[in-house]
Amino acid sequence: MKKIYCNIKKCLGCGSCEIACAVEHSKSKELNNTISESPLPIKRRRAEFVEENIAISTGCQHCDNAACVTACMAAAMYKELKTGLTQHDRDKCVGCWMCIMSCPFGAITREKQEKQVVKCDLCPDRDKPACVEACPTRALSLGTFKEFKKICNM
Amino acid sequence: MQYVIIGSSAAGISAVEAIRTKDKDSKIVVISDEKKPLYSRCLISYLLAGTIDEKKIWYRKDSFFKNNKVNALLGIKAIEINTKKKEILLDNKEKVEFDRLLIATGASPKLESIPGIDKSGVFPLRTIEHAIKIQAMLGKVKSVAVLGGGLIGLRAAYALKNCGKDVSVFVKSGSILSQIVDKGAAGLMQKRIEEKGIKIFTGVAAKEITGDKSMKGVTLDNGSKHGCELVIIGKGVSPNMEIAKDSGIKINRGILTNDSLKTNVKDIFAAGDVSETNDIALGEGSINAIWPAACEQGRIAGLNMTGEKETYEGSLAMNSIEFFGLPVISVGITKPKNDTYEEIVKKDAARNIYKKVVLKDGIIAGVVFVNSIENIGVIGALIKNKADITGIKDIILEDYFDYGKIIPLIKKSKKGFRGPEFKETILTL
Repeated sequence: MKKIYCNIKKCLGCGSCEIACAVEHSKSKELNNTISESPLPIKRRRAEFVEENIAISTGCQHCDNAACVTACMAAAMYKELKTGLTQHDRDKCVGCWMCIMSCPFGAITREKQEKQVVKCDLCPDRDKPACVEACPTRALSLGTFKEFKKICNM
Repeated sequence: MQYVIIGSSAAGISAVEAIRTKDKDSKIVVISDEKKPLYSRCLISYLLAGTIDEKKIWYRKDSFFKNNKVNALLGIKAIEINTKKKEILLDNKEKVEFDRLLIATGASPKLESIPGIDKSGVFPLRTIEHAIKIQAMLGKVKSVAVLGGGLIGLRAAYALKNCGKDVSVFVKSGSILSQIVDKGAAGLMQKRIEEKGIKIFTGVAAKEITGDKSMKGVTLDNGSKHGCELVIIGKGVSPNMEIAKDSGIKINRGILTNDSLKTNVKDIFAAGDVSETNDIALGEGSINAIWPAACEQGRIAGLNMTGEKETYEGSLAMNSIEFFGLPVISVGITKPKNDTYEEIVKKDAARNIYKKVVLKDGIIAGVVFVNSIENIGVIGALIKNKADITGIKDIILEDYFDYGKIIPLIKKSKKGFRGPEFKETILTL
């Protein structure tokens, strides 16, 4: 399964991924216009500091045995059989926040007004997710875990 | 091989799906006393509130049984298990044989033994049938009494308020949601609920439901009378384990299971609201009658029924509720029973935020967050993996606490956190 991995050794915690994600999931998809949108678009990635000078960009891990899918009482969170990705169906979501309660990565965010949740969808409209493209140090990459290990020389 | 599953809600359905990932062809029989299962029990109060339409409640397609090659015996109750002959007696006198059996019979609402409980106009809220019957009489209802201030009672109260009814909740204990959150969180929730016009009376219980055939009101144990046209009983649930009695299957609070979800009888498993499992936070057997636990237990039981060796990590109490825009989530022990626990609390009245973690010997036993819930799952991971959090104790309730802050603990953990994704994220550290 292809998903987004972060090389902690390269991550600066600069937040470029966060901005690129929010812009990609905005109405206008243009940074200049995005900042005046209401409500503001919600980022699905976070640059998080582990310690001073050590950072990681995290988001949905598309877990094999996804706790959010197990917890979802509306079958809105589901595993896509073909890709193995964890997907979210807005038509089914009732905003009960059980997925938020269950996600060990804190990767799911409320969209309060809409009573919906949002999380990383790997940017379905793009070849390469916006965060990966925006990462100035190439800490972020899209691929399988095997590929990730290879590019990290691990 | 013939698999038989008694029950077709969260645990039963998950078991069917799990079995079919490993065994595409063997026979599966599902026995359910509900004529039309496959709906999400947790969405019933949403349906009653009118916040979702009926379509959303069906969480699996009508074709589910057919697609999974399940022989579904619906509207039929399993009444006896013969563990020696490996067969089940049904209420229509027929018998079903099994090679592997899953008991996923769920739970039923606790009904109070007060006079008048059998009058018309008195309902629990557990099945879609209940919701439909309540809806049908709402036209004649102005005022509602809800007995019980737990999750079900308050969800029902919220739903009926949303339908424009005058709603009063009578809570025997001193605070609402007393089984799942502490007083600090309960206070904030109660304030919000009352502000929106639901009346809450704590420390009072109903003594009698009055009226003729139809109920007309409730008499309380403080002597006062409350007139209403509808009573909802929200007193929690008790496991449906009659079928296990005298069968040789061991029961305690629920049907006893081990970490494979097996009962003491060979080839018989139990999962969901009927099963007693090891509670991770309590370190002892408990029933956690919640949707996520039922699905996870159903999945693992299903896999093990096919011969896989999947281990259940244990259950954990967890609940998420929102009333009028104010969410609260709790996981594990939020009200410690003795002083061997330590509590860390953070309040921010201006933002309606309340956070508390409960610790024992440096390990988190429980957590409750009001109105700032986004990272509570990270703390849930610390509870499940029994991580020593002494080093991050000071920041655990801060706004900036997030997954990044637990990465050193994952790295340090001897056993490792359960799940491959944790290892993947720390690979490059």
